[in-house]
Amino acid sequence: MLKKKVFRDIKFNKSQFVTIFLMVFLGVFIYSGISSYMDGMKNGAQKYYDENNLQDVWVVGSNFTKEDLEQIRELDNVNAAERKLTVMGSIDNIKDSTAQINFIESNDISKFHVIDGIKFDKNEQGVWIDSYWAENNNLKVGDTLTIRYNEKTFDQKIVGIILSPDHVYDPKSEAELFPTHMDYGFIYLSVNEFVFGAENAIYNYILVDIDNVKNIDETKLNIENVLENAVAITDRTHDLSVKRFEDEIEEGNTYTGVFSGIFLFIAMLSVVTTMNRLVRKQRGEIGILKALGFRNKKIALLYVSYGFWISLCAGILGVILGPIIVGQIFLNMILTYYEMPELLVVVTWKTWLVSALIIGVVSIVTYLSCRNELKEKAIYLLKIEEPKTGKTNVSLDKGIFKKFGFSTKWNIRDIMRSRIRTIMGVIGVTSCCALIICAFGILNTLNDYIDWQLKDLYNFEYRIALEEGYTDKSFNDIVSSYGNNTSQTLNIEFKKEDKKEINTITVDDANGLLRYTDENRNFLELENNGIYVTRKLAETSDLKVGDTVTWHILGSDTWYSSQIIGFNTNPQNQNITMTKKYLDSMGIEYNPDKVYTNTDLSNIKELSGTEAIQNRESIIDGVESMLETMKTMVIMIIFAAIILGIVIVYNLGILSFVEKTYQFATLKVLGFQTKKIGKIFIKQNIWITFIAVLLGAPLGYYMAYFIFRMAMADDIDMMAKVNVSSYLYGIVGTIVVSFIVNYILSRKIKTINMVESLKANE
Amino acid sequence: MRDIIELNTVSKIYKTGEKEYRALDNVSLKISKGEFVVILGPSGAGKSTLLNLIGGMDSVTSGKIIIDGKDISDYNEQQLTDFRAENIGFIFQFYNILPTLTVIENVELVKEVVKKQVDAKKALESVGLEEHLNKFPNQLSGGEQQRVSIARAISKNPKILLCDEPTGALDSKTGIEVLKLLKMQCSKSSGENTVIVVTHNALFAEIADTVIRVKNGRIESVTQNQNPKMVDEVTW
Ligand SMILES: Nc1ncnc2c1ncn2[C@@H]1O[C@H](COP(=O)(O)OP(=O)(O)OP(=O)(O)O)[C@@H](O)[C@H]1O
Ligand SMILES: [Mg+2]
Repeated sequence: MLKKKVFRDIKFNKSQFVTIFLMVFLGVFIYSGISSYMDGMKNGAQKYYDENNLQDVWVVGSNFTKEDLEQIRELDNVNAAERKLTVMGSIDNIKDSTAQINFIESNDISKFHVIDGIKFDKNEQGVWIDSYWAENNNLKVGDTLTIRYNEKTFDQKIVGIILSPDHVYDPKSEAELFPTHMDYGFIYLSVNEFVFGAENAIYNYILVDIDNVKNIDETKLNIENVLENAVAITDRTHDLSVKRFEDEIEEGNTYTGVFSGIFLFIAMLSVVTTMNRLVRKQRGEIGILKALGFRNKKIALLYVSYGFWISLCAGILGVILGPIIVGQIFLNMILTYYEMPELLVVVTWKTWLVSALIIGVVSIVTYLSCRNELKEKAIYLLKIEEPKTGKTNVSLDKGIFKKFGFSTKWNIRDIMRSRIRTIMGVIGVTSCCALIICAFGILNTLNDYIDWQLKDLYNFEYRIALEEGYTDKSFNDIVSSYGNNTSQTLNIEFKKEDKKEINTITVDDANGLLRYTDENRNFLELENNGIYVTRKLAETSDLKVGDTVTWHILGSDTWYSSQIIGFNTNPQNQNITMTKKYLDSMGIEYNPDKVYTNTDLSNIKELSGTEAIQNRESIIDGVESMLETMKTMVIMIIFAAIILGIVIVYNLGILSFVEKTYQFATLKVLGFQTKKIGKIFIKQNIWITFIAVLLGAPLGYYMAYFIFRMAMADDIDMMAKVNVSSYLYGIVGTIVVSFIVNYILSRKIKTINMVESLKANE
Repeated sequence: MRDIIELNTVSKIYKTGEKEYRALDNVSLKISKGEFVVILGPSGAGKSTLLNLIGGMDSVTSGKIIIDGKDISDYNEQQLTDFRAENIGFIFQFYNILPTLTVIENVELVKEVVKKQVDAKKALESVGLEEHLNKFPNQLSGGEQQRVSIARAISKNPKILLCDEPTGALDSKTGIEVLKLLKMQCSKSSGENTVIVVTHNALFAEIADTVIRVKNGRIESVTQNQNPKMVDEVTW
């Protein structure tokens, strides 16, 4: 019999049960989807690095000999070491291309993941090419590439389409935050194919594999001691490719944490209130069961089973579908710009634990709410539950309250009677509004980033990266045709008190083609008597204006002292800036490595002494195409926010509607037209929506602010920007959601059957 | 005397799934203006159904209902609502007052739907609640709550006052007070207002002008009472 009651109860309280199911499902779905995505990224990268033996240490230099290599190999804790010659060139088959050309002797470290073709073999002729690049340019095994390097060209057949674990993130330059894999990629060849002969190869990298992570620091020191000619020795934590991917995970962790946390929180609140109401509504029935002689335990179990089974089904479904739908889609999206063989969602015990916790909370709340009822004697339960007196029944017949119409009074008192429901409603609608605004704010900020970095800071059309060791003649040729606007990047180590840090100094002699912004994003004129540090660097390294930092150029032992004379802001690069005049005043030689120009270089195929020519427009195009992917994610967030809003508003509406059916029926009997009752009923929800919008707008901004200012990686310093139109979307969206739900609910008033409603005095 | 209520072969059929149930079966009936009518009958006979149809709360399956010369059986929802607002007062066994409104606000509620002048205070005085105007329903006794709903019903001086077991939840002494109020509503306006009371208490028949007995969805008998007693004359 009791089983029958369970089914009937579910049938008669369909919308509440559907709510609980949906809320638990959505909460778990989003949470597990997102965490399976984050964990999938983490595990996928780890697995890829392990299986393909990514190097632990990169040694950068200008000419590593066989002896250098042997010395490293003989060090303690070193498993293996390999030399690599990396140069920049281009491929004639691909329009406007820049190619990173690598010549290697063996491939036991950072082993290729071969997608098509053969494994690396020193004695094989031919070229192994970046699979993302190949795919974007329709290149296959067997095609012939014309490779251009140092004004020489040579043809090679493609023998392998590959991925390499040290090229997960591999942009052409730091300006290209999101690689497009169109005009830039990497290729590998056996050193035997080196145009000037294998014996003339000048290796500029040594890759080192170490037996245990614990020994990395020690080994780095050892290498520093044995190799005089090493310019830099870095490990994975400082490698751009590894670091950028880790940052992606870290950033993801914060902002998805914010979203899925809020989502779970709201979902749980809504489940808890619904369950609580449901049990309270069953007061009478609990009384009857008690009067019939059912044990408290048995009754409690009955009600707990409602919450338990429903949330169990919803939870399991959520854990299964979340990773498949949300997680894998997100992973596939990031695989369009990070080069990895595959990324699979990972569902960890944490996800199961969170789901189990949710089910537990639902069951406990159900138990607690029915325990309250069970404590009372059966006879009281059978009586009508009276609204609590005291504060709830506010007297509204004094002062301005007297002027309030009936419906205002009724609504104020109704809100006071069900404060929890009202607060829940405000929280739910506020979050919905805030999520929408935040999501649009993310888009605004990313668009704003393009304007800031690529239009404000980059005030040039073309940037020419000069080749290492360029001749005076080629330099003079370039600046005489395109203007003497240059800069140099110094790799330095700086020290403040006892803390040392590796960073770069940009020496500016670009005559306004590079611009700088202050903390309010106003343009900044650089003075010639000190250095500028970016705000985020100042924060992370605890630097103040007026502080003196000492620094030296990597590879040199001369230390200089400079005073910080100002902060500048930069969205993606946290470093130090000074003018050439200041550099001159310290007596350091200026060797520009970049030339900036506004002359149209689109027809220049080759320029002696240059490594790459970059067009600002194409950088912008690349970033914009990346933003398209981000937009998809943002749209999903907005979609989820709207569903969330609808479900919460509808759920609370239904709850309050059910509670008031009896009162509405009474009003109907008295001759109130349906429309009029609807108006009274909706009034409250309009208030709630209004308050929620007022709260949601600043909250939405703050969420976006938090994500960009606090949560992003150390080298990103974007300022959250939320356009007026985004606020409008959020506010209008919320209002529309609220009105649709209200409309549906007020139509329900028509369906109230007076005779039946009044028979049972609820 | 003119007939204020006329039922013409009225049937009400409830459908539950496949089964049909005739709650009222071909009922024809006339009630004159200004009468105090008592409807008696066993449980499930169809008394409430009858009352609800007269009050425009429900619609007939077949037949006609003419109230004050107007056929309400083919009114739509809105017309029925206005009809109730203008003509009908209801009193139920459970008092049907809004818990979040005070006593006086519960009565003033009527002003929202009726054009007539309504004096809530006077109505509450006439039921002896002048002391409790600003209390909330849960601060009143059952009898007092029922008197609020009577005050609300009579405050607009409806042509027809319909009462479904109005004393059902009250002790007999309070019940008698309530009954007096209902009887007064009938006599005060010089034979303009009709009161219909559904009850299980056969003693009510002694004070009625007309007694209608209902059984199995049919009218068993309609008796005119030549000398209706005053409420106080009956030994309860
Ligand atoms: N909504 C409904 N669906 C199905 N049957 C109904 C419905 N409402 C009433 N009935 C049936 O119609 C019959 C008459 O009901 P009604 O409420 O008029 O009885 P009553 O005479 O008022 O009884 P009581 O004195 O117990 O209140 C009953 O047998 C009841 O079962
Ligand atoms: Mg009845």
